[in-house]
Amino acid sequence: MVMGSSQLWPPWVMEDIHAKSELGRYRIRGFSTFQKVTHFDDLTFLSTGLTRFPLEGYKERCNTRTVIGARYAENPLVLDTPIYISGMSYGALSANAKTALGKGAAMVGSASCTGDGGQLPSEREAADKLIYQVLPSRYGFNPHHLDQAQAIEIVVGQGAKPGTGGLLMGVKVLDDIADMRDLPQGIDQRSPARHPDWLGPDDLAVKIEQLREATDWRIPVHVKLGACRVGDDVKLAAKAGADAIVIDSMVAGTGASAEVLIEHSGIPTVPAIVMAREALRELGLYGKVTLIASGGIRNGADAAKALALGADAVAIGTAGLIALNCNKEITESDFESEVGVPAGFCHHCHTGKCPVGIATQNPELTKRLDPDEAAERVANFLNSMTMEMALLTRSLGKSDVHSLEPEDLAALTIEASAMARVPLVGTNKVY
Amino acid sequence: MVIVNAAGLTTRELNGRLKELAASGQEITVLNPHVGHNIAVGIFESCRIQITGSVGYYAASLLDGPEVAIDGNAGWALGENMMAGKITLTKDAGASVGSTMRGGELFVGGNAGARAGISMKGGTLIVGGNAGFLTGFMMQKGRIIVCGDVGEAVGDSMYEGAIYVGGEIGSLGTDAKTEEIGEDELLDILATLESHGIKQRYTFTKVVSAKKLYHFDSLERLEKTVI
Repeated sequence: MVMGSSQLWPPWVMEDIHAKSELGRYRIRGFSTFQKVTHFDDLTFLSTGLTRFPLEGYKERCNTRTVIGARYAENPLVLDTPIYISGMSYGALSANAKTALGKGAAMVGSASCTGDGGQLPSEREAADKLIYQVLPSRYGFNPHHLDQAQAIEIVVGQGAKPGTGGLLMGVKVLDDIADMRDLPQGIDQRSPARHPDWLGPDDLAVKIEQLREATDWRIPVHVKLGACRVGDDVKLAAKAGADAIVIDSMVAGTGASAEVLIEHSGIPTVPAIVMAREALRELGLYGKVTLIASGGIRNGADAAKALALGADAVAIGTAGLIALNCNKEITESDFESEVGVPAGFCHHCHTGKCPVGIATQNPELTKRLDPDEAAERVANFLNSMTMEMALLTRSLGKSDVHSLEPEDLAALTIEASAMARVPLVGTNKVY
Repeated sequence: MVIVNAAGLTTRELNGRLKELAASGQEITVLNPHVGHNIAVGIFESCRIQITGSVGYYAASLLDGPEVAIDGNAGWALGENMMAGKITLTKDAGASVGSTMRGGELFVGGNAGARAGISMKGGTLIVGGNAGFLTGFMMQKGRIIVCGDVGEAVGDSMYEGAIYVGGEIGSLGTDAKTEEIGEDELLDILATLESHGIKQRYTFTKVVSAKKLYHFDSLERLEKTVI
C-alpha cells in the first residue's frame, strides 16, 4: 500500500478546495497568517563580552520612556514604554475587551487605540492615553472624540489585509455597534478601502492639516500603512506631514479578513522596518518622524529587535488579546465544542463565538471576560515585555532601549541577513 | 458683526481667530479667503460665519452647530463629517462634498463634483445643479437631493438613505434601484428647496439601496448560527 502526503496537495489544501466548492466565495477567518516568513526569531543579539561591558541586568537604570510624534505636535504622545496597544474595533472585540486593553495600557503608562467603529465610552474612560483612528469608513467618527484624543492615526492600510477595508460579519453588527456605525442591524459589513475625502498623497497633506487645525496642532498625527511598497509609501506619508508612521506588516492580526489577503499580501515586519528606516533616512527625517512597527510582536525580544532595526516604538494587537485570554481554555469555555478546534488553534474571531469573551458580542460569552482582571493581565504582560527589553538592552551595555541599533544584531539565516541588512552569524557578510 | 480679513493670515491664525470669535457668540464675516484650504474647521459653537470668496479643500468641515454661508466656489470635501448646523455655498463644489456628514444641512447652489455625499451618515445634502459620478457612494443614512443630472453609478453600494434626482441619471450603481416617491416626501423636498429659493417643481427620481449586498450569499457552518 502506498501512503503519503503530497507537498502540493496536503489534506488542508484539499479541505480548502472542498469548502470553497460548497461556499462559492473566498473564505474568511481571523487571527494572522499561517505562512512561515522571516521574523525576529531569525535574528539574535550580540551581547557584551570583552569589547564592551554590560549593565546590571536586574538593577541599573534603563530608560524605556518613549516620545511619539514630536515633529509638529505641541503635545507629543509620551509613554513609559515603547509598547502600546494597536487599533482594534469595538465590534470586532467586546466592550469588556476594549475596556480592559485601555485600562491595562493606562496602568503601565501606555496607550490604546480605537479601531474601525468609533470610540467606545468605557475605553475612553479607562484609557489614560487614547489614539483616535481616522479610517476610510469613518464609522462613528465624531470631531468631539477627536478633540479628546491624545493622538490621531490615519489608517491607510492594515497589514493583515492591505488594500482593502474592514470586515465585520453580521453576527457582530448588532445593537449599539450597528447604531454607532450608522449601519442596518445584522448586515455583513464590508468597510470602504479608500478614504471618502482624499485619494493621493497631496490630498493627504491637506487632510493632515485639517486634523491639526481641528485639534489646534496639539496632538500628533500618525499615518498607518500596510507594509507593501514600504519605501515609497513611507516617503509619501512623511512628505505629507505625518508626525509618526506605523508600518503594519503581513504577519499582523485581524478580527476578520478574506484568507486570500491574510496569506498572500504584504511583506514581513523585519524588512518593513528596515525599508521604512532607510526611506526616512533618505529624506533626512529619520529620528524626526517617529517610526512604529507592528505585526507579530510577541515578547520583549521581538520589541527590542524592532527597535534595534530602527523602530522607535511597537504596537501589539494579537499579543494583547492573548494576554486577555485569547486561545486559553478557561473554566467556562470548551473550545472544541464551541469553535471546533482546541484552545491554541482558534482563529474564529469572525464568527462571534469567541469562547473567552473577547471577539464576540454574545452577552453570554462576553461575561466570560472580567475587564478588571483582564486589565491586570494586560498590564502585567506589557510590564513583562518592557522588562525583557530592558534586560536585553542592559546585556548589550546600554541604558536606553532607544540606543539599540542594527550593530547589536546578527542574522541566523541568509534570508534574515538580506532582509534585516545585518551580517549572517559566523560571517561578516550582509547578504 | 466682526470682519476678519484673511489676507496675510496663516490657516492656523485664521482658524484660531474664528474659534475665538465663535466662542464669544459673534457673527463673523471672513473676507479674502483666497481659496485657502481648511478654513473654518472644527467649530462646535452655534454661530454665523459668512465667507466672501472661494474656499479650498475641507472648508467648514468637522463642524457641530455653526451656520456657514460661502459666497463663491469650494474645493473638495466641503462640510466633511459635519454633525449639525447649516452650510450654504452659492456656486460650485468640488469632489466629496458632504462626505461622511452625520447631520445638518448642506446646500450647493451650483454643481457638485464626483462622490457627492459619499459615506453620508445623516443630514441633508442639496445640489442645485448637477452632481458627478458615484453620487451617494456607500451612503449609509440621510438624504441627497440633486436638482439636475447625476453621473455614472449613483447610489453605488449604498446601505440606507435616499437620493432624489431631478434630471437625468447617468447610470445606477451596484445594488442601487429606483423606487416610487411618496407624495409627502415630495412635498417635503419641494419645501426644502423653496427654503433655498428654488421654486421649480422638479419631478424627482428616488434612488435607494436594493439591499442585495447586505449579506454574503453563503456562509460556512460556524458562521451560520446567529446569536
